[in-house]
Amino acid sequence: MVSLVINGQRISAAPGTTILEAAREAGIEIPHLCYHPAFPPVGTCRLCAVEIEGLPKLEPACSTNVKEGMVVRTESPRVVEARRNVLELLLAEHAMDCPICDKAGECRLQDTYQAYSLAPGVYAEDKTRRGKKIALGGGLLLDRERCVLCTRCVRFLESVTKTSELGVFERGDRSEIGCVEGRLVDNNYSGCLAEICPVGAITDSDFRFKTRAWFLEARETICPLCGRGCAVFLESHPGFPRVPGTAKAYRVRSRRDERVNGHWICNVGRYGYGYLEKSRCRELAGPLAKTLNLKAATDVVAPLAAELRALKYKGRQTRVAVVLSDWLTNEELFLAGAVFRRDLEIGRCHLVGPRDGSPDGMLLTAERSPNRAGAKALGFNTEETTLEALARDTDLLIVFGPFLQDRFRPADIASAWAGVKTKVLFTPRDEGLGAAFDLVVPTVWPAEKDGSFTNCQGLIRSFSPALAPPPSAVPEWRLLTALGRAVGLNPSFYIPFRSAGDVRRAMP
Amino acid sequence: MSHNIPDRVKRRVEDILSRYPRREAALLPVLSALQEERGFLSHSDEEWAADTLGIPPAKVREVVTFYSLFRRKPAGRHHLQVCTNVSCALNGADGLLSHLRKKLGIAEGETSADGRFSLSSVECLGHCDEAPCLMVNDEHYGRLDRRALDELLEKLE
Ligand code: SF4
Ligand code: FES
Repeated sequence: MVSLVINGQRISAAPGTTILEAAREAGIEIPHLCYHPAFPPVGTCRLCAVEIEGLPKLEPACSTNVKEGMVVRTESPRVVEARRNVLELLLAEHAMDCPICDKAGECRLQDTYQAYSLAPGVYAEDKTRRGKKIALGGGLLLDRERCVLCTRCVRFLESVTKTSELGVFERGDRSEIGCVEGRLVDNNYSGCLAEICPVGAITDSDFRFKTRAWFLEARETICPLCGRGCAVFLESHPGFPRVPGTAKAYRVRSRRDERVNGHWICNVGRYGYGYLEKSRCRELAGPLAKTLNLKAATDVVAPLAAELRALKYKGRQTRVAVVLSDWLTNEELFLAGAVFRRDLEIGRCHLVGPRDGSPDGMLLTAERSPNRAGAKALGFNTEETTLEALARDTDLLIVFGPFLQDRFRPADIASAWAGVKTKVLFTPRDEGLGAAFDLVVPTVWPAEKDGSFTNCQGLIRSFSPALAPPPSAVPEWRLLTALGRAVGLNPSFYIPFRSAGDVRRAMP
Repeated sequence: MSHNIPDRVKRRVEDILSRYPRREAALLPVLSALQEERGFLSHSDEEWAADTLGIPPAKVREVVTFYSLFRRKPAGRHHLQVCTNVSCALNGADGLLSHLRKKLGIAEGETSADGRFSLSSVECLGHCDEAPCLMVNDEHYGRLDRRALDELLEKLE
C-alpha cells in the first residue's frame, strides 16, 4: 500500500491507483468529465487538475497515479482557479440551453459550474452554431452544441460493445462526434450512451422532454427481464398534481454491480419497463368474486384455503394443479413449495414462465425470467407442460403469473379448461387470460415487492420495493403466507413471516 | 457496397501492406494511394480501406477528416493549401488568403467554376522558416507575398 495525504487527510491506496480513485475512496470527490471508471483515463477535459506538492504544474488526478508520501490538494485556491478557467473554456462553446436540456439536474458540467464558478461568460464572439438534433440511431439524438468532446461515447462503443459506430471527426475547434452515413449506432447497449454522456449532448428519445431529472425518485431494484438480473435504478415520479400511490416509472438506469453487470444494462432491460403498466390487473375480478362477495385480494384466501383443505381431507389433492412462474421470488417459491407440496401434498406443481429469446453474448440471457435458477434450486419442474395435462382430472386449478399466455392462446386455454370446476389466477397483468378464470387476483411485479432472485450465475440478491403497486394489488408472498396459515395444516410455520425477509431467514 | 477500386491500386495497396507489421498501421499510405487515383476519397473508398485493413469505418473517417491533406470531394487541378498557423499568420497569411479569395472568387473549401483552382486553409506545413507558405497539390512554395503569388498563379494552367 502507498500512503499519501489528500487535503490534509492521510490515505492509503493500492499502488497503481489514480489520485482521483484514491480520493474518491476516501470520500473526496474531484470534479471530472472525461474520466469514467470503466475505461482507462484519457485526460482530455483537464477539469480534474489538482495540486501536488513539489510539482510546478497542476496534474490531472484521473491519470496520475498515487506515490508514497504524495501531498495532494484538490480544493486549494490555485486548483479552484484552474477549475474555473477550464470551465470557462468548456463553456465558451457550450450551448447553455439548460432550461430545455434533459440532462439539467444531473449534468456534470452544470453541477461543477454551480459548485465552482457561476461566472458569466467573458467572450464577445458568437458561439459556433452546430447541429442540435442529429439522429445517432437507437433513438439517440446528438446535440453538438452541448458536446464537450470527452469521447466517453466513442470509448464505450470501442471497448464495451466493440461496434465503434461513433468517432471524433474533423479536428481542433471543428471536432465533432459523428457516425458514418448508413452506419448508425446499432447494438443492444446503445441506451448506455445517454447515461454516460456527462452532459446533455446525447439524449434518449425514450426519456426526452418527458420530465425533469429532479422530480425523479431513483430506487434500487433488479431487472427481471432476463436471467442476469442486472442491478438497476427504477426512477419514478408521481406526476402533477402529486397523487400518492400513483407513481409512474419514467426511466431505468444501470446501477453498478461488479459481480453481475459492471456499469451497463442492455436495451431490453432499459426500455422494457412498459410492462409495469401495460394491461395492469388492478382489481379483483371474475364471476366467483361476485358470487362469494369478495372485495379485496386478501378476501380470496379464506374460501380458497377452505376448498384446498376439504380436498386434502377427502384425499383428493390429486385433483388440484398449480402453475407457478420463475418471475416469483425465492421466498415466494419456497412458500408455494411449503403450502402446496409439503402441507397439501399436491403433486402437480408446474412452472410456466415467458418464452426464451436469443441471448446477446454479453449480459442478456436466453431465459427471460429473473429466477429460473432459484426455481430449479428449490426443486421445481421447469419442463414444458400442456393445457391438457393441467386439465386432466382437475377440479381446482391455481395459476400464478400471466405467462401461460406467452405459450398458449387464451381461446385454447378457455376451451381446454372448460371442464375444470374452479380456476383461480394470481397475476399483475391480464391481457385476456383472466376471461378463462373464475377468479382473478391482482398481484405485484418484482419491482414492487420485497424478495430475492438467484441469477444465472447462481448469485442470490435481495431487493425491496422500488415502486408502489396499485392499491388493491397484493404481493404473492403475503398471499401465500396467509394461505398457508388459513389452510391450517401447519399454521405455526407461517406465523413468524411478517416480511419477505422473515421468510428468507427461515429458508435453508 | 460495391467498391470500384482498380487493380492497379489494389496491387499498390498489397505492396504497402507488405511493409507494415500490422494492417491497420498502413492506413495513411493506403488512403494516399486511394486519393491519388481519383483526386479525392469517396465514401466507398473509405469503406474499402476499412474493410481491407480491418478497421471500423468510423475510425477511417476520423483519420480522413483529421488530416487536411485528405479530400472528401473532388478538387480543382490546382489545390491551393494556405497555411494559417502561427508563423505564417504572423507573416501575413490572412492577407494572402483574402487576396486569393478575391482573385479566384471562391472561399475556403470551394473550387472555381472552371475547375482550375481549389482553395483551403491548412495547419502548419512544417516550413515556418519560409513563412508565409502554401502548397499547390504536392508542391511547396514559401516566402510569398501578393506579387509572388500572382506570378505563381499565372504559371498554373
Ligand atoms: S456526446 Fe457526450 S459523451 Fe460523447 S464526446 Fe460529447 S459530451 Fe462526451
Ligand atoms: S477527468 Fe481528468 S482530464 Fe478529464
